[in-house]
Formats: sequence, C-alpha cells, structure tokens
Amino acid sequence: MTTRRQVIQGAAALSAVSIAPGLRAQDKPVRIGYAMARTGPWTGGAQVSQEPNYLLWAEQMNAAGGLDVKGVRRRIELISSDDRSDVETCVRTYEKLMGSDKVDLVLPPWGSNANFAVAPLANRFGYPFLAPTALSRRLVEMKLPYFFLLLQQPQPMTQALVDMFKANGVKTMACIYVDDLFGLENYAALKVALQGSGIQLVEDKSYPGGVKDLSPVLRSIKDKNPDAFVGFTYPPDTILASKQAKEVGFNPKFFYASVGTAFQLYRNVMTPAGAEGVLGMGSWNAKTSPGAKAYFDAHTQKFGGKEPDRWASGHCWAGLEILTNAVRQVGLDRKAIRDYVANTTHKTIIGEVKFTGSENTATPGTVSQWQNGEFEVVWPPKLATAKLNSNKPVWK
Amino acid sequence: MSFSAWLELLASGLITGGIYALVALGLNLQYGLMRILNIAHGEFLMVGAYLTWMVQTQFGLSPLWMIPLSFALLMLLGLAIHWLCFRRLTATSPNLDVFEARGLMVAFGLMFLIQNAVSAIWGGELRGYDYMTDPVAMGGAQFAANKLLVFFMALLFSLALMVLLRKTLLGKGVRALMQSPAGAQLVGINTRTLHPLMFGIGLGLSGLAGCLLSMAYTISPAMGEPYTVTALIVITLGGFGSMGGALAGGLLLGVIEAIGMHFTNPSLKALLSYVVFIGVLLFRPKGLFAK
Amino acid sequence: MNSRNLLWRDLLVLFGLSGWALALPAHASEFAVSMALTCLMYVALSSSWGFFCGTSRYLSLATSAFFGIGAYTTAVMLGELSWFGVIALGAGLATLVAVVMGLAVLHLRGTYFAVLTFGMAELIRHAISYFEKSVSGTVGRVLATVPEMGTIYHTVLLLAVLAVALSIGLRRTRFGLALLGIGGDEQRAQTLGVNTRLVKVAGFAFTAAIAGGVGAAMAVRWTYIDPHTAFNPFIGFQTVLIALIGGAMTVWGPLIAAIVFSVLAETLRLQAPQIYMMTLGILLILCVLYLPGGLASLRWQTFKAWWQDSRSWWKARRYEWSGDKARDKRKARENRIVGL
Repeated sequence: MTTRRQVIQGAAALSAVSIAPGLRAQDKPVRIGYAMARTGPWTGGAQVSQEPNYLLWAEQMNAAGGLDVKGVRRRIELISSDDRSDVETCVRTYEKLMGSDKVDLVLPPWGSNANFAVAPLANRFGYPFLAPTALSRRLVEMKLPYFFLLLQQPQPMTQALVDMFKANGVKTMACIYVDDLFGLENYAALKVALQGSGIQLVEDKSYPGGVKDLSPVLRSIKDKNPDAFVGFTYPPDTILASKQAKEVGFNPKFFYASVGTAFQLYRNVMTPAGAEGVLGMGSWNAKTSPGAKAYFDAHTQKFGGKEPDRWASGHCWAGLEILTNAVRQVGLDRKAIRDYVANTTHKTIIGEVKFTGSENTATPGTVSQWQNGEFEVVWPPKLATAKLNSNKPVWK
Repeated sequence: MSFSAWLELLASGLITGGIYALVALGLNLQYGLMRILNIAHGEFLMVGAYLTWMVQTQFGLSPLWMIPLSFALLMLLGLAIHWLCFRRLTATSPNLDVFEARGLMVAFGLMFLIQNAVSAIWGGELRGYDYMTDPVAMGGAQFAANKLLVFFMALLFSLALMVLLRKTLLGKGVRALMQSPAGAQLVGINTRTLHPLMFGIGLGLSGLAGCLLSMAYTISPAMGEPYTVTALIVITLGGFGSMGGALAGGLLLGVIEAIGMHFTNPSLKALLSYVVFIGVLLFRPKGLFAK
Repeated sequence: MNSRNLLWRDLLVLFGLSGWALALPAHASEFAVSMALTCLMYVALSSSWGFFCGTSRYLSLATSAFFGIGAYTTAVMLGELSWFGVIALGAGLATLVAVVMGLAVLHLRGTYFAVLTFGMAELIRHAISYFEKSVSGTVGRVLATVPEMGTIYHTVLLLAVLAVALSIGLRRTRFGLALLGIGGDEQRAQTLGVNTRLVKVAGFAFTAAIAGGVGAAMAVRWTYIDPHTAFNPFIGFQTVLIALIGGAMTVWGPLIAAIVFSVLAETLRLQAPQIYMMTLGILLILCVLYLPGGLASLRWQTFKAWWQDSRSWWKARRYEWSGDKARDKRKARENRIVGL
C-alpha cells in the first residue's frame, strides 16, 4: 500500500518536474482585463466581433509560451466579466480593473456608447485603449491621447461609397438610416460626400431601431426607381430591409446595407443565393493577406464553424496585433505603449494602420459585396479582393 | 398617389395589423377573461420563436410542424405556470384590485425569469432562418408568403376564438366566469379547470405567434418586450376581453402605422402608437368598439 | 415602543448609516465607492417609490421617465448652470411632468394606472428622441467636462438621505396617513374629507423629484447621453422589484433590499450574469405569493407560519394519497344513506 502511494507521489512529482521548465519561464502572468456584453441588446455584436477574438488571441499567445514582454514570455491571464449591455456597469467594471485591481492592460468593451463612457476613464488612469467597435466623429473630437479608434469613421466610408457609385454611373440614390448616432452621422457624412458628385438623393427616411416593418418605406422608394439604395442600418434592420426588399420586389442595381452584411448570420438567413450582390461595410476577408487567412481559419476552427465578421472582427484582431508588437518592443510601461501605438505605422492583417490623433487614417474607406457566398472587398481597387458586380441579380 | 399604390399600402398595413392581432389574442384571453395582466406575454412568444428556430436548424423539421407543436408545448407550460403561481393568488387575494396588482407583479418576475433563462440556454446572439420568403403576387402588389400565412392564421384564430366563446358551452362558461366568478361557480361551472385551461390557451397562442413570427424576423432574447407593448395597445384599442375587438384593433393599428409611416417618418411611428394608446386609455377606457 | 420612540430610533439609524456612507470615499477603493453609489441610487429611487406606491397601491412604472428627464437636463444644461442648479432643475422638471401626468391619469386605478405610466414613460422617450433628431439634428449629447466622483457621490448620498428621511417623517403626518387611507379604501378616504387628488399628485411628484435629481447626478458618469441610455426601462423595473421585494410599505425594506441586491448583482455578475436576473424574477414571484409584505415583514412568526403551513399541506397530501380520504368519503356517504 505504502509503496503504491509512494509510486504515485513519485510519478506526480516527476510529471510536475517535467513541465516545470515551462512554468519557470512564465513567472507572473500578464493580467489583462475587460468587460464585454454577454447578456442584453449588445450581445449579438459583442459575441461576433469582439470577445471571440480576445479569447483566441489569449489562447494563441499562451500556446506559444505566453505574451512576449521585451523578450520574456509571460502567460496571459484574462480577467473579464459581463457588462450586461449597461453603461453604468461598464464604467464600474473598468474603474475596478484599472483603479483597484490595477491590471497590466485593458481591452475595450463593445459599441460606441460603452466606449464613450470608458474612454475618459482610460485616459485618466493612463491605459491605452484600441477600440475596434466604436464609431463616431465626436469620439475623435474628444482628443483623448490614450484612446484609439481602429474602425474607419463615417467620412471615409461614405466617401468611398460615393466614389464607387460615381465610377459606376449611378445617378439617383435613396437612403434610410437608423435613428441614432451611427445612422445620423453616416447620413450627414453621406450628404456631404454627395455634394458635387452628380448623384441625386431622391428619398431619405429615418426609422427607429427595432422597427418591425419597413415595407411601406421600401415600396415608396421602389416607385421612385433609384439606381442605388443605401441603408445605414443595424443587423436586425439590415436583414429586415433585405427580406422586405425581396418581398416588395425592390431590385435596385446597387443595394447597400451597412452593419450586419459582414456577418456570417447574413449569409445564413438570406442564403448564399439570396445574399448575392448585396453591398455593405466590410474591409477584409481571408484573401486580404496570408495573416488574414491564418486568422480566419484559426477563428473558425476554435469556435466550431463560427466565422469572424468581415469588418470589425478584422480590425479587432489588428488591434491585438498592434498591442502584441507594442508589448514586445517596449514592455508593459503603458505610457511607452501609448507612444508606440501613436507614432508607428503598424503592419496588420488588414493592411497598414496609422493613427492621426485618435483616428486610424491609414485604412481607407471600403465597400464589400457578397459574391458566391463570400463577402469580397470591391472598393477601393487597390484593396479589392474581387471585382465589383455592378448588376445585382434579382432577390432569390 | 395612384389607386393601386393606396391599395398596396392598405394591404400591407392590414397584414402587419393581422400580426398585431394574433400577438394580442393570447394576452386578451388572459387579461380580459382572467384579469391577469401577463406582461411576460412577449417572452413566451420569444420562447415559441426559439423552439421553432432550434427545431428548424438542428432537426431540419419544417416550421409548419411547429405551429401545432409550439401551441401544445406552450399550453402545457401555461398550465404548469398557472398551477404553480396564479392558483395561490386567486385563493389568497382579498379583492380583485389586489389580485390584479399581484398578478402583474408575478408576471413581472416571470418576464425576468424567462428572458434570462432563454439567454442562458441559447446565448444572446441574433438568430434567424429563411422560410417561405418568396413573394406571392396578388393583384398588382406582392407580399411575402410567410407574412400572408401569419395574416391568414390571425384571421383563423380570431374567428375560431370568437365562435368558441359565443357558440360552445365551454365558451359560455368562460363568459359567465368573466361576468361573475361567484355566480359562475353557483351554477356549476368548474372554475378549477377552466382558469388554467384559458391561461394555457392564452400562452399557447403566444407561442404560436412566436413560431410564425420567427419565419419573418430575426430572433433574440430581448425581442419579446416590443410585442408585449403592441399587444397591450391592441387590447386597449379593442376593449379588454373582446376577441373581435382585438382583431379590429390590431388591423386598425397596422393601417394607422402604415399610413403614418408613408406620409411622415417611420420615426414617428412609435410616437403615434403611444399617443393613440394613451388617448384611448384616457378617453375611452372601454375600447374603441365598446357600445 | 410608542410612535415617538420609533421615530427617534429610525432617525438615529439613518444618521448612523449616512455617517458611515459619508466616510466611505475617504478610505475605500474607487470601485467600492462606485458600488456604494449604485446602491445609494437605488436606495433613493426605491424608498421614494415605496413611500408613494407602497402605501397608496398605485403602481407607477414611470420611474425611468423621471430619471431620464433628469439625465437629459444634465446633458443639455451642464455647461450653463452650476452643479446644484442642474440637479435642482432636473428634479424640478421631473416634478412638473409628474404633476401634469398625475392630474391627467391619477383617477384610474390599479393595472390601468401601471400600464398608463409605462406608456407615458415610453412616449416621453420617443418624443425627446424625435425632438432631438429633428430640431437639434443630433441624437445624443457628449459631456466634455464632468465634476469629480466625490461631488456625484455626495449629491446622490444627500438625495438618498433626503428620500429616507422624508419617508420616515412624512409617514407620521396627515399626508402620510392620507396616502395609507387611499391605499386602504379610497372612496372611504374621500368621504372622510381627504383631498385625494392633491395627495396623490403630491406623492407622485415626490417620487419624480427624487428620481429626476438622481438621474441628473448619475448622468455625468456616462459621458455620452442618448435617449436610449437615459430612459433605460430597466432602471424603473429594478426600482419596482427592489421596493416590492423589500416591502414597499415599510421604511427600511427598500433600503435593505437595495443594498442586498446591489451586492448580489455585483457578485453574481462576475460569475453568472443571467442567474442574477433569474434570481430576481424568482424572488419576486416567491415574495408576491408567500410574502406579500416583502422582506421587511419577515418575522419569526412568518417562519413558524410557513413551517405549520407546509406541515398541514403534507398531512393533507398523506391523507389523500394513502386512500384514507376516499375511504372516509365512502363511509360518510354510506352513513348518510343508512341514516336516512
């Protein structure tokens, strides 16, 4: 009996010793904190575009031995909690992470509202923030030195859209936009971009988020027969508008719906044939670079077939790449990380990223299109992964 | 605007109104007949939608099978909930006002419970599927097949309920119960089985509505609340307890919204609905169609 | 203990608690202060709600509307007025809306009133959304410079203390008794000469003033205010839940429940977020069914009564399931027939 126990203890000690060399190299883990929406209205976006990337990144880093901190590999420890899609909870969580827990780094939450609330906080505590799902000119205008927006802002995105339309001979356009900051800013930017473009806006209507029926609006737009339809919409409304456009028989040459078209969900709900030719906000896919393909495959494999979305997910991963490089170069000194992020041109899976102030000005505005079951970048030509199909087929 | 365009607008309003009416039927049964204001109504609708989605994506079963199935499943759930929660309330409440208030609070609790249970089981992401979305041409206009199905079902069930309440013995018993619970018991109507049955049917109807709606819209755990509000508005317009009123109220609301959206802005739609709602509650609390 | 002693006891406890709360920021982490802030917010909201709605049995679901009005006032006026000016204006506007709303709808009872207040809250939200969008061309406002955490904390603390103190004090005045009378039997109260309309509107306005003030103070923590976040209906729901579970008619019930739930929310959120909400739901259902007076009405007798209830239930079930009940019924029937 005693001998058996001794044997087991000896075996346990041996196995512990055999992995000890790996343990020895890790010392203290790098503590990285964040709050993410796991319940509530923001969950859909957060669980597609952001949190899976954080988890994948931590897993990949730890599999390679840990995060490279100026040559020393240290394990990543993610400290996360649910923010319940509530701004107050978000603020409180980050106060705890940065103020009491004093984590080494923080990752941003999902959405413009939460980032608005947390950005001044991050600034006050001196933690650099690379936000992939925040979109607003006003965030840029706040001029917070520790806050960086990875996503293209409304002005370049709408300018790219208008340029693409101009190059393809579009003369008339109709627009619907959701009744909140995202919709309003994009609509305002669109109006500015349309000045002097020769494209006439024949109808523009705003609608409240969560609307259940857009068919009267779509029917009246159909009567005006515009060449292009532009919707600044959120995923549920994007899908609703697409389905109802099919229902009323509205088949413009160009159908653009901003958020949600980049999601795998869109292809699932509309079917690949139904999604064919639809345009939307997207800036990358697996063909953009070898790194992008590696990321795409790793993501799909880890999450059992769940693909990253073709817009914010890529920018989220790019932000993590930037953070990784920063920590490798300058260690965990947050001011130094901030300076590195602000002053370097970064090479990431979506191309070059460079910040002017808070805004990423190196990634141009882009437009993507569903072609044969894949969301290809079709504009600008230098970033395109496929050629634009300028005649959208009838809805299937 | 041309005549056919008008017709198309009205038709689309009527179809949306049919959806509203279907959603409101279950709540009407529960509040109008049993004075239980089930503000968790939308959550049960959401459960029906999720069950249909799950069955469709995992087993490939057509949602048409789920129409009777979701009705049956949610009816059973309704029977269970009534037995667990509302039976005791009937026994312990001193008067109707207190019963109503307590029923409302229990429904409140159910709302939190169901919504988060679903979120815990299926996650918070958006889901959806494609079914019967091909447009069907009628006259000069076209409408999605699944919306037409919902409209047809709405008409069918409202009429069925109206016939049930007016012609059958069961219906007469229910109406007697509505007028006077004590008197109904005195003439031998078995309230102990009638109450849970009506509650169960109400919940079954909301599950059925959810099943049909999942064909046309994306689903998420938070989708229930707007439907509860719509159902409340419709039963207020039509008068509590009146099935025909609910149908008429729903259709009217749909048409008002469609016309409003066309001539002004969809953003005003919500404002309009609430103004109508509050107006009716203040000035005609018995409903627009009461004698 | 007579009424006077109870009053002194209550006020003393309040004094002690507020002193402790006052000292908190000095030696606690920023996170603990944040938690205390949320806790105080709900203490203020649910105490004032309970004072009016618990006693008079008019369930108001308009708390989020008043909170939102206060929050929006801050969003618009923060640059123009002093801090206290903004809070006062927020509370004042909310009170004004409550008076108008109250005069229009307080003649309806029960569920009508609850549903109506909910409808009005949503109406106000959509109206402000639309107005902002059409007239100001924007949909939310960014607060660039905000006051310190200390200022916010002390303001909310002041409002919470005010709400509880007024709840304690007014309860004993004719106003408080009138509210109780309205809750018991409104018609009788009217025949006894109570001006029910005035009393109800005043009570409703009280809840609105506190909610508006709290909303005005909390808004600065979010930097960006849009109608969706300011008029978040969940705040209203949670207030009602806390007050009901704590015991809407009592003074200390809402306060205790607010503290318990803030702590519970924080701990559960970190482990299992949906469990917290599900727990809230189940607790509310259980409370309504078995403990209508709320947690504050828990006494030793309650537990004894539950124990006795469950024992007699079990006895009845045993009687039924063992077949004795059927046998006794049969025997009684036979006896009746034989007896004739």
